[in-house]
Amino acid sequence: MRKIILFAITFMAITLNAQIEKPIEMPYYDYPMVQKDHYETVAQYCLICHSFGYILNQGKRSRPYWTGTVKKMVDEFKAPIPKEEQQVIINYLVKYYGDDK
Amino acid sequence: MTQSSRRKFLGLGLTMTAVGLFGKNNKNEIIADNAQFAPPMIAFPQKKPLKTISDRPPLLESPRDLFTQTITPNDQFFVRWHMPDIPTFIDLSTFKLQVKGNVNTPLSLSLDDLKSKFEPVEITSVLQCGGNSRSFYTSPTHGVQWGHGAMGCAIWRGVRLKDLLNKAGVKESSTWIGVNGLEKPALDVTPKFVREIPIDEALKDNIIVAYSMNGEDLPYLNGFPLRLVIPGHFSDSWVKMLSEITVLNKYKNTFFMDVAYTVPNNDCECIVPGSDVEYKRKPIAEMKVKSVIGYPTPNTVIKKGSKVLVQGVAFDEGHGIKEVMISLDKGKTWVATKLESDSGKYSFRKWVYEWPAKTKGDFTIMVRAINRIGRIQPMADEIGWNAGGYQYNAVDSVNVKIV
Repeated sequence: MRKIILFAITFMAITLNAQIEKPIEMPYYDYPMVQKDHYETVAQYCLICHSFGYILNQGKRSRPYWTGTVKKMVDEFKAPIPKEEQQVIINYLVKYYGDDK
Repeated sequence: MTQSSRRKFLGLGLTMTAVGLFGKNNKNEIIADNAQFAPPMIAFPQKKPLKTISDRPPLLESPRDLFTQTITPNDQFFVRWHMPDIPTFIDLSTFKLQVKGNVNTPLSLSLDDLKSKFEPVEITSVLQCGGNSRSFYTSPTHGVQWGHGAMGCAIWRGVRLKDLLNKAGVKESSTWIGVNGLEKPALDVTPKFVREIPIDEALKDNIIVAYSMNGEDLPYLNGFPLRLVIPGHFSDSWVKMLSEITVLNKYKNTFFMDVAYTVPNNDCECIVPGSDVEYKRKPIAEMKVKSVIGYPTPNTVIKKGSKVLVQGVAFDEGHGIKEVMISLDKGKTWVATKLESDSGKYSFRKWVYEWPAKTKGDFTIMVRAINRIGRIQPMADEIGWNAGGYQYNAVDSVNVKIV
């Protein structure tokens, strides 16, 4: 009887900890970002730190908003985006995710 | 159909479903309207499928209908990380929590050390992201556009932060502690996610280093093996995968203290919506009294003659909830709901109201909580605005139809 209980306890312990015995696998999702001219530039820089989910979650936004957001990525988070490419990214976001303001 | 076009097709399907569910002219359905993209439901490790706003870093939102329960289950508890590089494996035989800096004896503690050498304590507490509910601000804000699902309530078990600090021996000159975990930015130049807590606060009784959540190991994505628990405070300093506690004799300026998670440093903690003037900032800290309707959910169709058990949760910064009132006439009259048993001053307090659905038509259910020191939720059109969209706590409202 004691053996059975011991076995049950060991088994439970293994089951409870099963998920941390080996690395977890994180799912990947292909967020449906518009793919037009200059998409590669947007993908190259934005995806270094975060998924396109971050962008789609914002919905349509103004030019000052997208400009400020790209500036924040560069100034605060130190995203290595050259000046020219920053403008390409801002224009892309305004064109496909802008609210005409 | 290629993989990618199939994905797009699925995405479109989800969007169309969202429009179908919420309707096009429902102006109260701000989330659908604002985001215009319905995130996929994905099951991450140890989690049921949750609304996946982002997969990297993971941003997973809990469904509103969980807020009919005092305790939020681990497998549906929301997830929010700041950095893309989260270790996918923690080896407990080598994992250590370091307590260092301005102390007499630096400590390096294994999970077993924490469990065996310190007194275990338990507290039931709400964990709420500072940006929870920000999509309900009518003027747009920065940040992840959460609905109400960036919060939950759990029973946390662990050791007092105070006990760790006392064991290490905090030197007289200490003024702050810095805390950080194992998440890492993609680039070395990106500021690390470090938070700072004033030393007198860190030495209070109720801050704990938790190793258990609702009786289980912390789920990986909620910070396994250790996270800081600061009852009554927004979760920005509830550091996950906690690995370092550094006692400081001087405050260190960091992005995540001085810029992120801040509100205007004035009485209303607000500015004119949309203005981007520079202002003095202060970090968000204590939570604001709040209640959320768990049932019915928006756009529920109810059969006339049913008895509807309207229910939800309320909480505050730790004074306790005095009353939750409900209005079914757009705020003209309010009546008290019934508060269920109290699980502690930092816990969700469940409330229930029995509503006989007598008349056909469209109805708006509104709830408003008041705490024991008389703080009351603002109405949605009265709440002060801040650019980061933090601390939203206006009266919740849900539209339903009786047929």
